[in-house]
Amino acid sequence: MAVVESRTMASQNPADNESALSDALLRQLMAVGQVDVLVGLPTLNNAATIIDVVRAIHVCFTRDFPRLRTVLINADGGSTDGTPELVRAASVIDADVVQTSYTLRTLHRIVAPYHGLPGKHTALRTVFAAAELARASVIVVLDPGGPATSAERVTELIGPIAQSGVEFLAPRYRRHPRDGVLITQLVRPLTRALYGVGLDEPLGAEFACSGRFASHCLEQAIWNREAARIAIDFWLRMEAVVEGFPIGQIWRPLTAPAGARTTVREAVHQVVVSAIESLRAHDSYWLRTSGVAELCSWGVDPVAIPESPTWDYKALALQARHNLVEIRELLQTVLEPGLLAGLLDVSEGLNPTLNNELWVRIVYAFAAAARQGRAGVDHLADMFVPAYMWQAAAFMAQTARESPAAVQARLDSLCETFERLKPELVAAWSAGE
Amino acid sequence: MIQDIGDALVQSWRNFASAFVMFVPRLVAATIIFAGGFVIALLVRRVVRRVLTLAHFDRLSLRMGASDMLRVAEMPTAEVLVAKIAFWIVWIGFIVSAVDTLQFTPFQGLVGEFYRFVPRFVLALLVLALGFLVGNFLWRATLLSSVNAGLPGARLLSGALRVLVIAIGAVMALEQLGLATTVALTAFAITFGALMLGLAIAFGLGGRDAAKELIEQQLRAKKAREADAAPHL
Repeated sequence: MAVVESRTMASQNPADNESALSDALLRQLMAVGQVDVLVGLPTLNNAATIIDVVRAIHVCFTRDFPRLRTVLINADGGSTDGTPELVRAASVIDADVVQTSYTLRTLHRIVAPYHGLPGKHTALRTVFAAAELARASVIVVLDPGGPATSAERVTELIGPIAQSGVEFLAPRYRRHPRDGVLITQLVRPLTRALYGVGLDEPLGAEFACSGRFASHCLEQAIWNREAARIAIDFWLRMEAVVEGFPIGQIWRPLTAPAGARTTVREAVHQVVVSAIESLRAHDSYWLRTSGVAELCSWGVDPVAIPESPTWDYKALALQARHNLVEIRELLQTVLEPGLLAGLLDVSEGLNPTLNNELWVRIVYAFAAAARQGRAGVDHLADMFVPAYMWQAAAFMAQTARESPAAVQARLDSLCETFERLKPELVAAWSAGE
Repeated sequence: MIQDIGDALVQSWRNFASAFVMFVPRLVAATIIFAGGFVIALLVRRVVRRVLTLAHFDRLSLRMGASDMLRVAEMPTAEVLVAKIAFWIVWIGFIVSAVDTLQFTPFQGLVGEFYRFVPRFVLALLVLALGFLVGNFLWRATLLSSVNAGLPGARLLSGALRVLVIAIGAVMALEQLGLATTVALTAFAITFGALMLGLAIAFGLGGRDAAKELIEQQLRAKKAREADAAPHL
């Protein structure tokens, strides 16, 4: 199997997708020709897990899709731990070969260190541009540190796109309901209420999509923007929803979150900035949307609920209380006096609490403030951090002794509150014209 | 004798009449300029306010914190204030022109002086406004960054930065106007120098241990925070 290294260049012109591919990569792709399935592997220092993932992909290709034309593209962001070399050197071991039939096609593997703005968005742009050039009908993007360590995990991502007409497949995980507080308290309910779609994991790292969706994304002027840099996964999902691409979800094993390298402040900041960007870009859609559409699901629900997460939410509450008082003057520019007084009142309490309505109104007030230009998006996101920290601590405190079912009921109630109060945001947003 | 007095009176009357005849058109012209200027200034005020409203100047003012400061000072909103300033500049220009039309000797050259002063005045206003904008922006950014980074004294630090930047802007504006330049610059230099020297001495000598502890605390806190987003995602 020939492995050739090539380089990709980030284009200044978003529409000019071919310039996202270097000459060397173009030559390799032309040598590969048209493919049916393209698996993209964006990596950055993933030496610990990459060999297993590459083997799983190759076993998947040879065993489950021997008649399809396939290619694996590794878009590396400049790993210093030898990840690209490991991808090039990874071979299917005897144990794998025993399980597999021989493929009828050549296995293509391309290692393409990308250049330009660092980040997953540049890697994805490279993968999408390559897919468009190779006319791939199915594109799978895997998390190199994620659960794709068996061929079955790769195969199950390809199947729904290839066979059932779904054009975007997002992962879903069986978590403890107290896990992933930023998702459960903000991103998921906001996505459900505003975009009317029941996506479990709007920030999940893995996905599969159709070639048509990849081409559509390449045409959007998003790739050099902040929203793409910090939260491309969220943007892709919202783009699929807004543009009417059929969406589905697939159960995946839960792995360590990719955000382990970031702080709460950074994570919340990124989520808020990308959410505001998305609200601005897609307001003609979400202002008119009502109700929530549940999505088709593939894969097997693990059913077993993992252990409840344990972390020091009391320290977070202390920090949030202090920070809220410190930035009270700034919060006055965003929150109505009643809302601010309510937030400050509860933050003085011994135990962190915050009722659903107050929390949802705070979230919507920040969204409306972005619309009305009351502060820059970065500053709004920073102002939102202490409010989120308080809500996260309050949720963890309130659910500390509750059963998973009771906690799930709380989450459902929060989603319902987001949906019920949506008209208030619609009114405030429309008034900010 | 009587004839001489009569001639003098007649001559005086003729002079007065001649001067009056010459003055009346200038007075009428000055009155027209004065009244017309007032109307034009009113129009300018209305146009400026309308343009600023269309350009969402209130949002900019709100974002930069100018609205809050104006509200605290019980002043009108930013677009009203700018429109009023435009009104007075235009009308004062017409008043000066009207006075100049009367050709009173003490006011000779007033128009030239005025037109030399207006650009300096506008520039001074811009410098002052810029000082407010930059000061408020830095205050907001510093406050948010330091609060979210867990730094102690975030409000003091950001507030001091805002006062410093606005003071620099005010001194630059005064210098532009040529008003009390020496006094303003000297006062600013002395105050700023004394403040920095005081802080340096206090921090370098008196608070050396505290500074060391603070820096160590920050490094420890940073390490402790490195993975703290995991349970949230």
